[in-house]
Amino acid sequence: MATVGNAPQAGTAKDFDIVETYHRLLSDDPDLTMPVAAIEALIELLVQSRAVTVFETLDLVKTQSDYLKSQIPNSISLSAGTDLFQRYMISSLKPSSTGNFDSVRQHLLSNGRLFVSRAKAGREKIANYGRHFVRDETVVLTHGGSRVVGALLGKAAEASASGGNVRFKVIYVMNDTRSSESKAVVSSLRLKGVPVATISEGAVGYAMGKVDLVIVGAEGCVENGGIISRLGTYQIALLAKAAGKPFYVAAESHKFVRLYPLGQYDLGIDQEVIKFKTEDEPDLTDAERTFANRTPTIEERSEYFGSSPIALPRPNTVVDAVDFTPPALISALITESGVLTPSAVSEELISLWY
Amino acid sequence: MPSLQAGYAPNLSFYLKSLKAQPVESSIENLISLLKRRQITNSRPCAVATAHLLLQVVAKFRWTNIDKLIKRIQDVGRRLIEAQPREMVVGNIVRRVLGMVRDEAKEDRNEDASDSASNSQSDRGASHSGGPPPTFSPLRFSTTDDSDSTEATGDDVFEGQSHGASRPPLITSHTSYAPAGGLPPQKSMFQLLSANPSPASTPPGAQSPQNTSNLNATSLAHRITTSTKDLKAEVIEGIEEIVDELDQADDRIAAQSLEYIHSNEVILTHSSSKSVQKFLLEAAKKRKFTVIIAESYPNDHEATHKSVTRSISTDAEGADELSTPKFSKSLSDAGITVILMTDATIFAIMSRVNKVILATHAVIANGGLIAAAGARIIAKAARVHRTPVIVVSGVYKLSPQYPFEFESLIEYGDPGNIVRYQDGALVENLEVDNPVYDYVPPDLVDLYITNIGAHAPSYLYRIVADHYKTEDINFDKPELQ
Repeated sequence: MATVGNAPQAGTAKDFDIVETYHRLLSDDPDLTMPVAAIEALIELLVQSRAVTVFETLDLVKTQSDYLKSQIPNSISLSAGTDLFQRYMISSLKPSSTGNFDSVRQHLLSNGRLFVSRAKAGREKIANYGRHFVRDETVVLTHGGSRVVGALLGKAAEASASGGNVRFKVIYVMNDTRSSESKAVVSSLRLKGVPVATISEGAVGYAMGKVDLVIVGAEGCVENGGIISRLGTYQIALLAKAAGKPFYVAAESHKFVRLYPLGQYDLGIDQEVIKFKTEDEPDLTDAERTFANRTPTIEERSEYFGSSPIALPRPNTVVDAVDFTPPALISALITESGVLTPSAVSEELISLWY
Repeated sequence: MPSLQAGYAPNLSFYLKSLKAQPVESSIENLISLLKRRQITNSRPCAVATAHLLLQVVAKFRWTNIDKLIKRIQDVGRRLIEAQPREMVVGNIVRRVLGMVRDEAKEDRNEDASDSASNSQSDRGASHSGGPPPTFSPLRFSTTDDSDSTEATGDDVFEGQSHGASRPPLITSHTSYAPAGGLPPQKSMFQLLSANPSPASTPPGAQSPQNTSNLNATSLAHRITTSTKDLKAEVIEGIEEIVDELDQADDRIAAQSLEYIHSNEVILTHSSSKSVQKFLLEAAKKRKFTVIIAESYPNDHEATHKSVTRSISTDAEGADELSTPKFSKSLSDAGITVILMTDATIFAIMSRVNKVILATHAVIANGGLIAAAGARIIAKAARVHRTPVIVVSGVYKLSPQYPFEFESLIEYGDPGNIVRYQDGALVENLEVDNPVYDYVPPDLVDLYITNIGAHAPSYLYRIVADHYKTEDINFDKPELQ
């Protein structure tokens, strides 16, 4: 029994590849978030699988989730989705619960699209909550390509039901490594009549004096209430704190992830952000492979934390790199269940896991 | 006793006395004009007046349907909030009552669905709302005969325990299987995947919704009409509980004072708050300590001076209903060394202060507070000296609304308090502002002491979730819902 799922590809149809499915889902629908794409991929896996017992199914979902995570360089966001899915299955398949195996399976299989639309509706809801943070004559600083923030600012720019639209300005921090995404966000805002100023990442501190509030998106909200977000968020949060400006995070609650990072190098992913080089030796020598000089890799960390990934994931490139913003810098999280303080995240997670 | 028409300035006690005799509609109008004219001000009098008015509204309103009652309370609440939006307690009390009515209605529904599981359900409801009493028995009598009307009880007669677990749709979240200690959150992360799209019920599993819908459609409407009388009594009892809570809040807070005030400490406070006074007086029964009072000129200095030396029951509106003998003792009579000083010396004296105790006007959901002007100076000075800041506040002052714009919460008072209107030269050439309140951000506060215990500012969201229902938070602003 236990052997069924242990090899990632065994037990299912040979032609189903969860990683490929995940990538296809993400590219098919640009509005899909990573956790929801992971959930969709797992639902497709259930469609393909012939597992008939509860244990078999849970084991399959678990191994395939781990396999998917191992194949994606930054698996933090998607692991929120796979965890949520697994917890949902476990809790609804408990003997004390109402659901029996067939009905739960049927519910999941038949409602794939519903989950996606709910996730998108959640974004609308966040935009509705969040647009009240944007007041007349305010200047909002943001960065990255978060769709929630885009929806929120778009909503704020629209004329409200009571008449008259909010006149606000946006300072957008350009990202050189992802300039096409930055340009798309900026032009869509300008199209809605919002005056947008673009600044480089080096100008954030300079611009902070003109800013009234900061709104950013997140890839994942971790257990202590901090967020994992596009590289550069942490420094913006630090500068906002230093200037006494409120720093808000707009994120759906399915991005809450069970992770408790204590610092930047503690995220469980490899990032090639800090690379030491000299002119004559372009590659690292053994002497330089010390803990202090470089972002520690998974292999070094697993010595202490004992994780056993199926395969070591590829390191995260600078383009996709993320950083961790600690909860003390965050004023509030705008989620579809309301405006939460950072400490509310851990409670939501605890209620999910225990 | 002079009536409202007699030319006396009407205040809370007159209003409360007039409530019984007058028709509800004129009572509502009365309170609205009292609020508008600022003849009832400050948190507690507003809260007490609102609670008593809602009691009359519920008692005198004929209703057949719980939705009608909720609608009625919402209408009245909306008018009161419009009359004086900065008295946030008015909205808080209306929301508390609405949440309590919803709880009672839900309980009623639960009792209908099954008797066997109602105990665990009711406990959950009680701990969730905080306010209502843990007595649920009256409703159960009317429902003992209809176990056949619900399929739910039909197949589970033999094992009530498993039945309790198999009826999650009536609970607000999936945590029915979670350890009993955990309160159910308003909404859960499972909402994304749940079978039932309604936010009120997110059960794992697919069959139960049929049971509920059946229940809702047929038996429920019938049941509510038949048990309206009982429900009404329950609701009135619930509002009386809230009134009691308002009365006892300060005593409950004061009872904790010995844990926070130690012998020979130097405490700094400002303005003339009764909550703080009681807190200090209670501690003074056992301990000797020094209190430094900043006089909070120009809005509250007279009352502050009085509180130090003379009976405080003679000033300030709303005091009349609290004028018990033990309370009319002044701080110096109680053996406290009192030092009165101007607001300008706050920073200079802060290095000698052990603890700062602040009173509030309102506490907001992010953990910040609105307090008498000068509070932020004190909190900031305390932060510079790393002096702990303790805020005493009844839970009724805790508002679930998120303050998007802190400036809008600050009220500006009579500039004549600063520059007299007779002083022509100044009045002509100056713009004089007199803010009555200050906003103190949550990171300047170390601890909140409420009538239900002491909490960190970051925990307040939890108390908000326990006391108010999400659907009521923005009831006065439909565009936000």
